[in-house]
Amino acid sequence: MKKSKMKLKIDFVSSVALDSKTGQKRINFILNKVKDGSILVVNGVLTPDEEMDLIRETMRRVDDGFPGIEVCSLKKQVKGWGQFLATLGNGREKLSSSIWAGITGNPPKTKLKTGITLIGPAKIIKNIKKNPDSFSVLAEM
Amino acid sequence: MVFGRLVNWIRNFFRLRQDISLGIYGCTNVGKTTLANRICMDWTGEEMGKVSRIPHETRLVQKKEKVLIESNGKKININILDMPGIATKVDYRKFLKYKIKKRAAKKRAREATKGVVEAIKWLNHVDTVLAVMDATKDPLTQVNITLLGNLEAKGIPVILVANKVDLRRAKPQNIKEAFPQYPLVEISALRGKNINNLYEAVIKHSRKAK
Repeated sequence: MKKSKMKLKIDFVSSVALDSKTGQKRINFILNKVKDGSILVVNGVLTPDEEMDLIRETMRRVDDGFPGIEVCSLKKQVKGWGQFLATLGNGREKLSSSIWAGITGNPPKTKLKTGITLIGPAKIIKNIKKNPDSFSVLAEM
Repeated sequence: MVFGRLVNWIRNFFRLRQDISLGIYGCTNVGKTTLANRICMDWTGEEMGKVSRIPHETRLVQKKEKVLIESNGKKININILDMPGIATKVDYRKFLKYKIKKRAAKKRAREATKGVVEAIKWLNHVDTVLAVMDATKDPLTQVNITLLGNLEAKGIPVILVANKVDLRRAKPQNIKEAFPQYPLVEISALRGKNINNLYEAVIKHSRKAK
């Protein structure tokens, strides 16, 4: 009997590639790749709002052949003064991008935060075990 | 976000609103509707929704308005919003295991995905959130992390609810360790264990008790 070969495609995407896209385009980029069967590894982390948008958009695209996604991210942990400064920096970035968006009429661009994100089709990724500073993924073809 | 916080603060300061919207959020099958039923039974004598072991039983946002709760002499009027469970995947094949027919399973899956979208939309309309987690399971799921991060960014007060602590394998300390920055109440919504602690926490953290 001939054994069929199972293939797994993993796309490693630099944060630069996603930084250049605005909110909805970023989500579409991710979901188009995942819906095509790729596992995406990004060297950056989406904002909490974008993560929620990703879940919402995924739900809109669920069908018989695409049950959804599995996603896991590891963020850089900042505490104390570092956290305070990061919050200030985020506020400044949001304000400047909103002003820029107001002037140009284009949706604001936000940069990905430091960290790593894995997003893949739920059909392939069976389990993700997350720890505070690591995660392991079980995929099954 | 900053503007939203400012508006909330002004509303709270001048007490422009008499009651608060309490959203019950979490993954599927963590006991959100059991908790909503418990709160409603305790204060109104009526149940709120149907409970089932099949995931995504609640597929529409359930509302119960003007429920007056009281703890330590303080009172607060709450509008309870029992949300569909948030998930990153909905596979109709999972429902077939519960002896649901294929057509019905597909319909349930379609409704479930709409329910998740609806629950996410409501995040902009709640004043306080009970983030319910199953104490017998690993709390470090991406849904929990995303939900809490989102609420924090919106400045919405969150109370973590470690549910099902009546079960032997429950480890509520795992939730405390995973999310130490949030107030945590350990309860059994089914048995009513420690439920008064929850009412106390809702009044304390909702900042609108009279």
